[in-house]
Amino acid sequence: MIAEIVRRIAFLPVTLFVVATLVFIALRALPGSTVDMLSSQFATAGLRDQLIAQLGLDLPLWQQYLIYLRELVTFDLGRSFITGKDVSVMVGETLPVTIELALASLIVMVLFGLGAGMAAAARPGSLIDASLRFVAMTLFALPWFWFGIILIIVFSLWLGWLPSFGRLPSTLDYQPVTNFVLVDAIALGRPDLIGPWLAHLILPALTVGLTTSGMLMRLARSGIIETGRLDFVRTARMKGVPGGRIFFRHILRNAALGVLTVIGLQFGAMLGGSVIAEVVFGYPGIGRMMIDAVLTRDYAVAQGAALVIATLYVFVNLATDLAYRWADPRLRREPGR
Amino acid sequence: MANSFAAPPKPVAATRRGRLGPADVLRLVPWVIATGFVLAALLAPLIAPYDPIENVGMPMMPLFTDGHVLGTDGFGRDQLSRLLYGLRPMLVVSLGSVVLALVVGGIYGLVSGVSGWRIDWVMMRAVDIVMSFPLILAAILVLAALGASLVNLTLAVAVSQLPIFARLARALASGEAARDYAMAARAAGFAPIRIMVREVAPNIIRPLLVQATSVVAVAALTAAALSYLGLGVRPPAPDLGYMVKEGQELIFIAPEQALLPGLVIAIFALAVSFCGDQLGDDRAVGMAP
Repeated sequence: MIAEIVRRIAFLPVTLFVVATLVFIALRALPGSTVDMLSSQFATAGLRDQLIAQLGLDLPLWQQYLIYLRELVTFDLGRSFITGKDVSVMVGETLPVTIELALASLIVMVLFGLGAGMAAAARPGSLIDASLRFVAMTLFALPWFWFGIILIIVFSLWLGWLPSFGRLPSTLDYQPVTNFVLVDAIALGRPDLIGPWLAHLILPALTVGLTTSGMLMRLARSGIIETGRLDFVRTARMKGVPGGRIFFRHILRNAALGVLTVIGLQFGAMLGGSVIAEVVFGYPGIGRMMIDAVLTRDYAVAQGAALVIATLYVFVNLATDLAYRWADPRLRREPGR
Repeated sequence: MANSFAAPPKPVAATRRGRLGPADVLRLVPWVIATGFVLAALLAPLIAPYDPIENVGMPMMPLFTDGHVLGTDGFGRDQLSRLLYGLRPMLVVSLGSVVLALVVGGIYGLVSGVSGWRIDWVMMRAVDIVMSFPLILAAILVLAALGASLVNLTLAVAVSQLPIFARLARALASGEAARDYAMAARAAGFAPIRIMVREVAPNIIRPLLVQATSVVAVAALTAAALSYLGLGVRPPAPDLGYMVKEGQELIFIAPEQALLPGLVIAIFALAVSFCGDQLGDDRAVGMAP
């Protein structure tokens, strides 16, 4: 177990290095990128050359690459070409927003996916089972952005219950400290922040959480049904173990393995979903920042955002893998893959 | 994670001979819908009442207006015509990217699976690293690098699907390579390339095709999402994802402008995933982007 953790963590820098290189290749090394965008604004050749020199884009590519890596090691992500702000500052403002959204979506996904999966598994082949399976399939086939728009139409436009845009009302006087609203609300003693924050969070979280829950639901369903048929469950039943205890201690614990994997796998989908939900709901997270940066060709920002999202993803994958091993003692002794 | 792809899919259930029951008719529905979409896209120039790019009437005409059944958009373009033409990029990108990912990922996985463990290890770690990006982020990076266009969108979606095919093909191929017939071919002194192409490949193609069917929906949804983000087909060319984006700005006046194109995408994705589901039993839902 410990050897495996060490091995996985030792591989981490390699992965991150390659990720950083791929981002560099995608956003810097290909021709045309930054200078094109700048030259449209700064028409004179002199200004253009000056700007290129200023940004270090006149250096040979390998030198740019080395500078890029050196800056990365010191967590210097450069400056936005458009706002002039430090990218690391911008990431500090937007990443907590996305983490909030991803966690809220995760809660929705687990509650709905697991709940529906358990309900469907209770009576396989019943009408409830069949309709829940259809719901899972439908949720999976819905374009996420479109589902978000439906939620806006229903809950903001028709019912007027929830706001459709942004993260907090602009009328609210709020100076972010950690940028995690819940943490700030507690630290600053501002319970009035929580209401509007939740109201803005619900629709984006439902969008991402529900559309990603189909897979979890299917897996929970099949996991519970299959585990329920195994010999050890029959043995437990013969010993007279109460039904609830069999379900929670025996069946669910074994089915949880698959569920953990799905949650980890789905975290990538969830980050992707957050990118889209942030755009739909004008939610000021790192995904929206990246899309805006790509569309306006603000490459330093796009690069920083891509790196941070990929790094987060790598760490979550590692954590899932380790959690999986922890949950299944059988895997601990197995020597590697 | 690789293990979930290791088992070959269950064979397609043999259909009963004789009379078709209601269940069989129900099974046909997604195929009919999917075929209908393909036909509508192919025949768009014949059946669309107007040019999808030209302003042919007053802007923002409501549904069921005379001559414009689905009304017109903010530029006075006929919505029905735009929906019909909008099917084309969706189909081209979703089918094209899956075929591309199938061929490239399949060959990659095949080579990795039948090669010795050193090459196999390196090739699979490379796939791991691509997988260390959330797939849609990989697609966004490809589009950021190459610029938005139909071809680049296809490439980007294909990149996001590649790892799935590479891993599946590798798992299948390494399984096949260990079987007696492949051993016999090696013992008979056949060249590795011949064993790969003539012996192993035919035995792994079927599950790969099943997998391909089940990811068409994912590809369509990924492509639509990228178009919605403004990274797909350039306007004014009609594209369903971008139409939702344009419609969202008019959501307070005419919500149907955003709802209709999204509904078309959803019906297509649903139909195709049911088709894939029938072929592949239940591996369709597992592949969300």
